[in-house]
This record gives sequence, structure tokens and C-alpha cells, in this order.
Amino acid sequence: MRKFIKAKSWSMLVIVSLVLSLIVSGCGGGASNNNGSNGAKQVFFFAWTSTPFTDLDPSVENSNGIVPLNNMYETLLRFIPEEKKFVPILATDYSKSKDGLSWTFHIRKGVKFHDGTDLNAEAVKFSFERTKKLGKGAAYILDPIKEIKVVDDYTVEFKLSYPAPLDLIVASPYAAFIMSPTAVKSNPEDWFTQGHEAGTGPYKLESFVLGQEIVLTKFDEYWGGWEGKHFDKVVIKKISEPTARRQMLESGELDFTQDLPYEDIEALKKNSNLVVDISPSYENLIMLLNTDKKPLDNVLVRQAISYAFPYEDVVKYAAGGYATQSKGPIPSGMWGHGDNLFQYKHDLDKAKELLKQAGYPNGGLKLLLVYTSGDEAEKKTAELFKSELAKINVDLEIRGMPWESQWEMAKDKDPNKRQDIFVFYWWPDLTSPYSFLYPMFHSQKDILFNLAYWENPEFDKLVDKGAEQSATDLKKAEEMFIKAQEILVKEAPAIFAYDKQYIRVYNKSIKGYKSNPAYPNVIFVHEIYREN
Amino acid sequence: MKNFILKRLLLSILVLFGVILITFIITRAIPSDPAAQWAGPRATAEQIKAARVELGLDKPLYVQFGKYIQNLLKGNLGYSLKTHQPVATELKACVPATVELVLISTIAAVFIGLPLGLISAKRKDQWVDHLSRFFSVGAVSLPTFWVGIFLQLLFYSWLRLLPMGDQLSMNVRLMYEIPKITGFITLDSLITGNMVVFKDALLHLILPGITIALYPIGLVARMTRSALLEILNEDYIRAARAYGLPERIVLWLYALKNSLGPTVTVVTLSIGYTLVNTFLVESIFSWPGIGNYVATAVVSLDYPAILGVTIFSAIAYVVLNLIADIIIALDPRVRI
Repeated sequence: MRKFIKAKSWSMLVIVSLVLSLIVSGCGGGASNNNGSNGAKQVFFFAWTSTPFTDLDPSVENSNGIVPLNNMYETLLRFIPEEKKFVPILATDYSKSKDGLSWTFHIRKGVKFHDGTDLNAEAVKFSFERTKKLGKGAAYILDPIKEIKVVDDYTVEFKLSYPAPLDLIVASPYAAFIMSPTAVKSNPEDWFTQGHEAGTGPYKLESFVLGQEIVLTKFDEYWGGWEGKHFDKVVIKKISEPTARRQMLESGELDFTQDLPYEDIEALKKNSNLVVDISPSYENLIMLLNTDKKPLDNVLVRQAISYAFPYEDVVKYAAGGYATQSKGPIPSGMWGHGDNLFQYKHDLDKAKELLKQAGYPNGGLKLLLVYTSGDEAEKKTAELFKSELAKINVDLEIRGMPWESQWEMAKDKDPNKRQDIFVFYWWPDLTSPYSFLYPMFHSQKDILFNLAYWENPEFDKLVDKGAEQSATDLKKAEEMFIKAQEILVKEAPAIFAYDKQYIRVYNKSIKGYKSNPAYPNVIFVHEIYREN
Repeated sequence: MKNFILKRLLLSILVLFGVILITFIITRAIPSDPAAQWAGPRATAEQIKAARVELGLDKPLYVQFGKYIQNLLKGNLGYSLKTHQPVATELKACVPATVELVLISTIAAVFIGLPLGLISAKRKDQWVDHLSRFFSVGAVSLPTFWVGIFLQLLFYSWLRLLPMGDQLSMNVRLMYEIPKITGFITLDSLITGNMVVFKDALLHLILPGITIALYPIGLVARMTRSALLEILNEDYIRAARAYGLPERIVLWLYALKNSLGPTVTVVTLSIGYTLVNTFLVESIFSWPGIGNYVATAVVSLDYPAILGVTIFSAIAYVVLNLIADIIIALDPRVRI
């Protein structure tokens, strides 16, 4: 019995002390803010819903990884879309031949890679050749490059096989990074993928947890210098729960986030400690219409349903008001956007009449729309569209599918098994209208993204010519791209739903941030700082 | 006994094989093209074709399955379609986090659920019993995601007492060397005597731990209570009381010991349930475990990753079942 009492009191003691210690220690720790407690180190903490990167290879990654990669690596130029201007980064200046086939870049002197190698013309040549040779990710943007010549230590010349805007290409957020040749040559091919880097950027890779987070730390010998206020470390983390991110932002633990539900944004706007930054993006919601199959092979039917689409409601309810109705496929704010382009309005009478002309006086059509399951905005858009189409007696079946399955269906060998309407977001790999018009609407032998299966020789010609022109004369190129879009809008192989807006929410203490839609979601951390 | 265990073991292997086969077929039956995924979202037809050959997807399905089993026996679970990393390596990185969570909640289930059931049975139909029953019914029936989000709101946003999620706070992760011996952060930091990391890790365990533990606590409490009540009416208990033995001895030594059988079974089996439950909880608490891992894999139809997690969970389930069976078999009253 004595033994028993002892055991009991002992276990009670353990329980009580455990509970007490938890409570006591809980009061001390917990929700700490990263401002003060880590002394001199300034840490920038960014969290969003996606994994921080899929591949760390700068020649390969064309997904979320461009956010950390653009802080570890640099490109020759950076594009500032509002001013249609290029900022010199690793190139100090450049010139091009009249025909746009030969481009010469002068490379910045005194730049070091993170592994100590010096940047020179050879390294630039090596980087582009590696990316082109691997042929993965967005490497196809380098297709026009025929040959790269090292003129002297700090001059490099690009020979193109056809005219192309090489300045835009080398400023691309993907596939245009310059990397240390020494590091690549002295390591196995998958060295980057295994978790290494060798860039010239302001931050080096410190650590990462696959699929969860990546930590960058400052590169002391960065050519841009560290005078003034800068962050010492950058943490990019996946926190999928929006409620978690919102609460961490409100408590001051998190510095910066995006992709919060629209409902939360209104509430966060009232929080005086936070900044809600709404800015245009180059991303839009597009519904490609299957022009290869009845009934959407008839242009009148396509125009009819373009009139039946509830543009305003979709912007208001599906995009939470954080979008604008598209005018053609090129987002507003980007060069090549046609301000005077025809824009469909929601008009059911017009839709009915067009259907009548097309030989469907009583409607009676059945259409299948596929969207990526889990995407609330796409789902709401589809539902709003369905209820409008029902009013003109068109039955729309909505099917949410994983992206891969949606993709599979669109590529089915039997055209009759494909969808009628394919909903997706589009954004450019290269800040050029070409990056919208070519992949989605140019005729293709092997269909990749032309999921409207649309072909129009006149349109093709205008786009090809526009691309050539953009090497030498952006203005002329723009005219051609707009002409091409006039055909597009008339032929209606797609419904151009809305241009998305970015909604970023960040702590008020973060200064110097400016969204650059040419680099989707990238925060150039060296340019921002914290003001306490 | 030996025969029994052997029989069970063989049966388990059969079950595992079945699970692998079915999962393999299901992941392949889903309309999706793994080669296109491997090649990335904007790959060209040539890139996809090259990926198909690289992954061996151009071979017939039975050959692929044979190859998969062959690799599996060597501990190779294939490569993730998204990250291009070996699935085994990725699993190894996230399993400890999940196991830590499962262990802590199981310990809580035993150390809280058992006394709760005991008190409840002892004070049957008194207010303590009502309260404890109210709690255990609530614990079993409250939806996990609701509890998780509510606890975050309460302890993180309002009271500012506990961290929001993850295994460590960012400051600690950046400022301290995180020891890696076993992969279990709490254990490793304790072994190396790094008390700051230990305390931080422990704090981070509380909210997800409670969220997951609620269900097994309720289950164990209810099981213990009903088992005890049944036994307390037995003749030998009456005899013990008649001998004038103190109630404590009667309760703890005679009654509880004999009622433990079903409770132990429930605890063992609930570990399996808990493992699956962590999938949701890890998402809520950004816990870097297999739940979080498989959630990403499922959404992107990353079939090697899905298969890997399924195999891991199946093995865990089968082993736990085996243990439960053996424990029951150890009871001399049970005839095999």
C-alpha cells in the first residue's frame, strides 16, 4: 500500500509539474515577433500557399522557385514595364544591329559569384548555352539564339537565327540566369537540384526543407553593396492555411504574404499595422473555346456565348472585385494591350439573336466546361456563366478536374472527347504580347497550349511579323500585335474574362516594395528594408 | 503462440502486397500523364516523350509494377514527379515530425484518458462523471479542423501564448544549430542539451498535439469507464471489498488491471487512426510531416509520392494491428 501511495503521488507530481512548466514557459515564448528578439540580424519573412521552389536548377526552374532564384541569381538586364525601360544589372549597356540579328552586351566588371569565381563574358556565354542545351523549363525562350561569341573578357555578342527582342529575353524571370561556370563544371549535373547554388545575387542559399521553406542569407561581397538598410536573411515558407497566414501577419510574426481569401482583405485593410497593396498583374483568366468541334466551330455560336458571359458579375463575385474585365488576351498595363479593342458586354438579347442566326433559334445546346478543381475563382466563374447560359437555353456542364486530367482530356486523340470550354490562367514567360498570342492562338502542329484548336493564317502572319519587329521597333510590333488581336476578338476563339490583380499584404514597417508584374511574385529583397 | 504470430505475419505481408497493388492500379487509372508532370507545366511534346522513356512509362503496366516491387525491396520508392527527388529521402525527412506528433498524442491519450475513465467509473452518475462523459463525447465528436483552427485563434491570436504552427519558431531555426541525430527535434535537442530548441519544440507540439489527442483521449476514457463498470460488478471485486481492502487498491490493482485489455487494443488501433488524422492537422499547423507531404502530392497527382505514403501508412497500420493481436493473445483468458 505504501508503494502504491508513493507511486500515485509521484505521478501526480509529474503531471502537476508538467502542466505548470508548460504554462509558465508558454507565457514567455509563443508568438514572438522577429523584429527585436534576434538582435542585429534583419530577417524578411515571406509566406505563401505554394511550395518555395520545385527545382533549384536556374536553367530549369520555371515555377515558384523564381522567387528565391531571383534573389540568388541575376540576369543581364531587368525590365521595368511601366516605363518600357531596361535597368542594367549584370550588363552595363548593350547595342543591337539594325536587322536585330546581332546583339552586343558589355558585362559588369568586379562582380563575383558566390563561389568566388569572377563574372566575365565566358560565364555569360556558358550560362545561356547550358540552359539552351538542357532544353528544360522555359528554355525555349532562347530558341532565337544561334551563336554566342566572346569578343573580349567583358563583351559578349549574340547572333540570332531570326530577329527577336533579345533584351526582353535576357531580362526574363526564367531561363536567363547567369551562373558560375566553375561550380557547374566541377560538380555533377544534378548539383543544383540537390540543393546548391552559384549565382551573383545579393543572397546565398543557407538552408532549405524540401517543399516547406528556403532560407537565404546575405552575400557579403555582393557588387551592389550593403550600405544603407537591407535585410540580412530571407525566409520563404509554405503556409497553406490562409487563416494561419492572416493571424501571423496580424501578430507581426510574418512580414509579407499573398493569396489570402478576398473576404479577409476587407478586414485587413482596416488594420493600421498592415499595408494592402493592390497592383495589376500580367495574369488573366481565359476560357478557350473548342473551335474544332460542334457547336463552337461556328463563329456565331462563339460570339453568342461571348455575349452571354456575365463579365461584371464574374469580376465582382468570382474575383472579389480585385480584377478588371479583359480587353483581348493582353493584360492592361502591358505593351501590346489594345485600349481601343472591341470588348464584349453581357447582353443576352444579342446572344439569343446570334444563336438564331447560327441555326439554333431555341438554343438547346450542351457544352462541357472544365476547370482546375480547387480553384474557387474558376469554379464561381463557371457557375455564374452556367446560370446565364441557362437563360438562353444552353446547358453548361461544369467539371472540376485536377490540372493533369484537364490537360489529358484537352489532348485526347479523339477530338470529340475533348472539352468545349477550357478555363485557365495565363501569364507570360517573356514580357511580350508574343508570349500570349503565340502559345495560345498561333496554329501548332503538335498542340501545346492552343486548346481552342484554332487556326487563322492571317493571324499567324501578323504574330510572326510582330515578333520579328519587336527585335528592332517595339512600336511597329505593337501595331501588328493589336491588329492580330482584332481578328482574335472578332473570331472569338476564347472568352477573355478578366485581368487579375495582385493583392499583397505586408507589415507597415516594410519599405521600398514595388510590384513588378514582369517578374510574377518576385520580391527583390535587396531593394526593401525595415523601418522600425 | 509462435504459430499464431507467424500466421499473422504472413497475412500482413499479403495485406501489404494487396495495398500496394491496388494503390498502384488506382494511381495509374486516374487520367493523368506522369511524364507530362515530370517534364513540367509548359513542356514541349519532345520533352514529354523523353520523360516517358526516362521514367519507363513506355513499358506495359505489369512490367512497371514488377519494376516498382523490385525497387521497393531495395528501399527505392521511385522519384517524385514534382521535385525529382527520391521519395524515400523525402519521406525520411518528414516521417519523424509525424511520429513525434502521433507519439505525444498517444501518450496524452493514455495519461489523460485513462484517469478520466477511472474517475468517471468510480464516481458513476455523480457530477464528475457527467463532466468527464461530456468531455469525452465532445472530444470524440468535435471535428478536428474546427478544433485546430479554434485553438490557433484562442492561444495564438487572442492570448498570444502559443505558436501558430510549424515545429520551431523562425528565430530559433535561424539562430541555433538544430541538432540532427534521430530526426526527432525534441529528442535530439534534449540529448544535445540544447534547452532553447527543446523548449521551443515542446511549445510547438502543444496545439497540434491537443488537436490530435482529443479523439483518442475521449475514446480511451469511454472505453476505460465502460470496461471498469462491468468489472466493478464482478464477484471478485465484491469479495475484495468484503475483505476490507481499501477502495484504491480494489480500483487500481484489481479492477483496472483486468479492464486494461480492451483499452490497450483501442489505444493501439487508435494510433492508426491518429496517423491518418495528422494528415489534416499537419495542414492546419503547417507541420512538416507526411500529412503535409501527401496533401501536396495528392493535389498534384504525384503518384510515386502517394504510393510511398500509402505504403508507409499501410505498414504502420499492419504492424500496429499485429501488436494489438499479440497483446490480446498474451492474455491467458483468450484462447487462440
